[in-house]
Amino acid sequence: MTPPDSTPPLLQIRGLKMHFPIRQGMLFKRPKLCRAVDGVDLTVHHGETVGLVGESGCGKSTLGKCVVRLLEPTEGAIHFEGFNLAPMGCRQLKPHRRHIQMIFQDPVESLNARHSVGQILEEPFVIHRQGDREERKKKALALLDKVGLPAASYDRFPFEFSGGQRQRIGIARALALNPKLIICDEPVSALDVSIQSQVLNLLLDLQRDLGLTYVFIAHNLAVVKHISDRIAVMYLGRIVELAGADELYRNARHPYTRALISAIPEPNPRRERERIVLTGDVPSPINPPSGCPFHTRCPHVQDRCRVEVPQLRPAGPGHEVACHFDL
Amino acid sequence: MKFSLNPITAKKLRRFRQIRRGFVSFTILAVLIGLSLIAEVLVNSRALIVRFEGKWYFPTYGAIIPGRTFGLDYDYATNFRELQARLEKEPERGWVLMPPVPYDPIENCYPGEFFRPRAPSFAERHFLGTDQLNRDVLARVVYGFRNALIFAGCYIVLTYLIGVSLGCSMGYFGGRLDLFGQRLIEIWSQVPFFFVVIIVASIVSGLGGMNLGWLLGVVVLFSWTSITWYMRSVTYKEKARDYVHAAEVIGAGNTRIIFSHVLPNVISTLVTFAPFSVAAAISALTALDFLGYGLPPPTPSWGELLRQGTSNLSAPWIVASAFGALMLVLVLVTFIGEAVREAFDPKKFTIYR
Ligand SMILES: Nc1ncnc2c1ncn2[C@@H]1O[C@H](COP(=O)(O)OP(=O)(O)OP(=O)(O)O)[C@@H](O)[C@H]1O
Ligand code: SF4
Ligand SMILES: [Mg+2]
Repeated sequence: MTPPDSTPPLLQIRGLKMHFPIRQGMLFKRPKLCRAVDGVDLTVHHGETVGLVGESGCGKSTLGKCVVRLLEPTEGAIHFEGFNLAPMGCRQLKPHRRHIQMIFQDPVESLNARHSVGQILEEPFVIHRQGDREERKKKALALLDKVGLPAASYDRFPFEFSGGQRQRIGIARALALNPKLIICDEPVSALDVSIQSQVLNLLLDLQRDLGLTYVFIAHNLAVVKHISDRIAVMYLGRIVELAGADELYRNARHPYTRALISAIPEPNPRRERERIVLTGDVPSPINPPSGCPFHTRCPHVQDRCRVEVPQLRPAGPGHEVACHFDL
Repeated sequence: MKFSLNPITAKKLRRFRQIRRGFVSFTILAVLIGLSLIAEVLVNSRALIVRFEGKWYFPTYGAIIPGRTFGLDYDYATNFRELQARLEKEPERGWVLMPPVPYDPIENCYPGEFFRPRAPSFAERHFLGTDQLNRDVLARVVYGFRNALIFAGCYIVLTYLIGVSLGCSMGYFGGRLDLFGQRLIEIWSQVPFFFVVIIVASIVSGLGGMNLGWLLGVVVLFSWTSITWYMRSVTYKEKARDYVHAAEVIGAGNTRIIFSHVLPNVISTLVTFAPFSVAAAISALTALDFLGYGLPPPTPSWGELLRQGTSNLSAPWIVASAFGALMLVLVLVTFIGEAVREAFDPKKFTIYR
């Protein structure tokens, strides 16, 4: 893959695998593995937004959690600013933690209900020993202002807020330590449609003002379409296609991506478009299909697909696809 | 740190207050506990106040006062009831104010007389009669209650201490500790509790005597498992929640996550078990005392009273007092437990927690 500019990328994921051992009841059965992420390469540059799209269960959150090192990957490397985070232990990780933050899907789950908003926002400063009590409070108030919440929120508790406001609190917490990279794990999918665009706009404004880099996870293309510079499409723990956002829309090469695009509601009803309906269920990551992971549902499947795993290969400028054929 | 109550806790407490039966039971039990703490003032063979030849004495607490102090012809502890009777004949020397129940739980109220249970009598101030060793039943009920409370309090502290620390470590750190702990609990909870306690108790009694510490140790040894198991599973679940992940991403270490995030969230549900633990502790103590494997005589206890009462059914006040006291406390505790569970029910709080 050729980076568009010569500066080293902010994040470089190489051959990342996350296999969860699945415990089974029987005493002598060999433990099985859930291959949630099964060999992902991804490069993220300063200041860009990479959308990560895929069906539920394809391993998007797992990938995100590996990057923020909530999970210890089974294999592979996560290079962030010249450090490989993948094999690091707790101690080594601590200084790097502040640079990579995460925004969670469910704003109810991601805030400790026993802590006031002030406590939540000051916790990062307490942990990283920044400032004294007064300074911390000042910083927390500044964060509230940044995400558009009134200063009076400081003494309130999470349950006193609506979903969108809670997500703003979560965003404020993620911003506290001036991170460089933020993993947004479906930050708006738990919100009302009317609130979604407000929160998305907030994220975009913050990116512009603070020079943030986002990895934006979503389960459909419609959300990431407008905010991503590049989009990676995931299927069963692998990236099957990666391209600039516009390029992906106009020129999708992978049958799975095409199916996803055709599922986006067409704003113009007169422009009839072929709707590709995928049959069958997503295979389980515990028993992934041999060869191309998509072959069980692919309309173009050939014999070769069942035995040989397609690797990501260039398919145009900044465009990569993992399919044996040029479709 | 601010000491203002977390609004969630405040809400739970408010709801607890609204559950009438539970709150009334709670108030009654609190009063009873309060009274038992000052039992020396209410039920005691020592006088509250003695005025003797121009001097004041407050014998309730503190060292014993020898009889010679009051012009009696002995050096051992003053018998204040006798003193009171004597001073009533010569009021110019002073007077004695006795507690409402002027008897000790372990004294023979009628030394030199036959051992026989005496029926309740207001004139003699034996409000619940005496037992077969001439001891005042009310005094034994009151001090027995206090012993049961001390036992239950220590029991709760110890089982929760073990349960919370071990269960939380198992659930949080997992791995080998968890695996080993799980197997241990599974095996341990299959051991028949009472048989083992009785065996251990008889060995200990044979070796030199049971006391509160031993009894507590033996009972706790066989009751830490359930709370540990519970703590393990809730910690395990709590640890997987996103707010814990969020803290981790910020850089919080294990200590911080456990003490500032996980424990405060899971411990609140432990409160709902506390009343039932109290009931279990009191029942266990009473049962062991009843069987004669509990606290050594002459320690006042309800189990011992029950045993006396059941073998002296011609003196029904003994069994009635012990049984009544036990029932009252267990019913109160159960009502409280019910209300606490209702008010603290985590199911109602899933959206807020
Ligand atoms: N801790 C774990 N232990 C075992 N399996 C796990 C674990 N976490 C995730 N998985 C499995 O890994 C797979 C991918 O999960 P993941 O949460 O990453 O999916 P996702 O793409 O984020 O889906 P969604 O859109 O529903 O959030 C799923 O099959 C899931 O069951
Ligand atoms: S490799 Fe084969 S099965 Fe896989 S997407 Fe391409 S055509 Fe379909
Ligand atoms: Mg997810």
